[in-house]
Amino acid sequence: MATLAAPAETASGRNPGFSLKWLGNVLAHGYVWVWLAIFALPFLATLAYSLRTPDGVWTISAYQYVFGSFKENLLLSLETTILTIIINLVIAVPAAYAIVRHPLPGKSFMLSALNLSLYTPAAVMGLSLVIAYAFLFRIPQTMTGLIAAYVVGTFPLMLVPVIVALRDLPMVFEEAARTLGATRMQTFWRVEIPLLGPGISAGILLTFVIIFNEILVTPFIAGPSTTTAALRVYNLTRTAGFQPSTAALATTMQLVSFVVVLIFFRFFGSRYLKGTYLI
Amino acid sequence: MTRVQLLDVTKRYGSTVAVDNFRADIADGEFVTLLGPSGCGKTTTLRMVAGLVDLTSGQIRFDGQVINNVPPHKRNVGLAFQSHALFPHLSVARNIAFGLEVKGTPKEEIQHRVREMLDMIELSQHADRMPSQLSGGQQQRVALARMLATDPRVLLFDEPLSALDRNLRDTLKYSILELQRRTGKTAIYVTHDQSEAFAISDRIFVMNEGRIEQAGTQLDIYLHPRTEFVAGFVGDNNAIPGEVVGRVAGASGEPALVDVRAGGMRLRGLDPGNVRVGDKVLAFVRPENIEVIMDSGPADVPNLVRGRIDQIVFEGPTVRLVVDVEGIPIKATAGGLGRLTLLAQERRYVVLRLQEVTVVRDDPALAA
Repeated sequence: MATLAAPAETASGRNPGFSLKWLGNVLAHGYVWVWLAIFALPFLATLAYSLRTPDGVWTISAYQYVFGSFKENLLLSLETTILTIIINLVIAVPAAYAIVRHPLPGKSFMLSALNLSLYTPAAVMGLSLVIAYAFLFRIPQTMTGLIAAYVVGTFPLMLVPVIVALRDLPMVFEEAARTLGATRMQTFWRVEIPLLGPGISAGILLTFVIIFNEILVTPFIAGPSTTTAALRVYNLTRTAGFQPSTAALATTMQLVSFVVVLIFFRFFGSRYLKGTYLI
Repeated sequence: MTRVQLLDVTKRYGSTVAVDNFRADIADGEFVTLLGPSGCGKTTTLRMVAGLVDLTSGQIRFDGQVINNVPPHKRNVGLAFQSHALFPHLSVARNIAFGLEVKGTPKEEIQHRVREMLDMIELSQHADRMPSQLSGGQQQRVALARMLATDPRVLLFDEPLSALDRNLRDTLKYSILELQRRTGKTAIYVTHDQSEAFAISDRIFVMNEGRIEQAGTQLDIYLHPRTEFVAGFVGDNNAIPGEVVGRVAGASGEPALVDVRAGGMRLRGLDPGNVRVGDKVLAFVRPENIEVIMDSGPADVPNLVRGRIDQIVFEGPTVRLVVDVEGIPIKATAGGLGRLTLLAQERRYVVLRLQEVTVVRDDPALAA
């Protein structure tokens, strides 16, 4: 059988393993790695900065602030993120059922409207929320306001993966469970939720990554007692300049996000992120 | 054990009638098959018995009790799906245990029952495997075990073998029959495969376009089809359009016959009982009931027709011929040792002796 491999020995006697195809592969991979390195540079720079005192000594002493005065900010970030995720879930799962399983008139309009917050400029969102919170709801600079804003901003990111997962879930599993004697609730918890798990996790991942690091709308509506970690980094940079301690906080935030994302992809892959703007 | 009655069961989707006044009385322990082409309403009917589809009108009764409004999880039926529908996130053992777990059965009893089921389907060593790790046949067996674990009173099968290859289908259908016989449960089976239906049913309901065309045993349906659809759908058949020209009373103990004129042909077949002289009919004769006589002599006796062989195909155990009789291509099959003499006889004029001719009224209203 004739092969299309590179000739064992060319006229110039070059290395038999070398070929145009191999070169092409190396260049293609190299291209991606180069950009990866470029994108990683800011993080690496921050990491390096956080490990060095202004005198040039390598130390991790800057990280004591992470457990010290930054602790509150980190905890607040985590708290608001988790609460946002829970509220998103509670609203999105029934909504997904309504949209997928029950024919609704004007469905495409509704879906566009629900996705609207993704396309609203952050400044517009920020300003309108400040006004609404201050004068309409009377909840200026509260955690409630923060969480409410986060939910509105990320709800579509929870809704879409759950819709995708639900649409891909064949009705036959529900039918099998029901004919085997399971009530509607039993079917929901024992069969549907586990099978929707990956889709729900995608929504959780997206919500987490975006809210934990949120810095667009937060400056508008947060106050001294509701300063998230991201906002703290921002404020410190503007007031105190480039400090190793600030870099330490930023690096910690980045690491938290990395770990969460890695855990997600390790367990669930990228299937359910299709349809969102991230994939 | 349960008697299932469907009384004028109808299902309408908007203006489309999916099931039209389905009437059946299924005895306790009987194995009944709904046979028909895609879209004939057989699956919809089955799903109404399962409770997954609401009736538009009519009644379904289990042991005399109307169950129209009983939700599926309370009907205690078992449903086997075409796609096995095993829960992908549960192991084989947990799948089988599912119906028992949701009822709150004690753990020990569940374990015992699951072991029993696994032994029955001979997959005990696969208890902890996930469904995706099993072959198609194994998956379907687990699905059957899962269905039977809850001891349902009626077994429902929605084309469970359609997705499997031929050999598997042949062995599994007998396993299904054996399981049904052993448990003695009433069973309703849906399929479009006639050989499957014939192999395992006590009674067959042939369906078309939402209606029952004919209900009966395999013999009834094959030998005495009552409508054009049944004659053509079940097994191979030749349809010859003609007109009733006379009646022949049966000798004592023999059924009555009718004489049919079809062009130059004189045919005589079983009197269907609903035709008069002058009515348009279709005479049906199956290819295996046609004898080929290497003779171009006169054919003035009923059921002897002359034609020219157009096509001969050697199929192995049979030889299949297409004979042109007055422009109608008549299919005939010849088996047995004599069949080889028919080979290489193209364009030869022959006489066909037709046997077991059945006559069906040609109703233009029912023409597709």
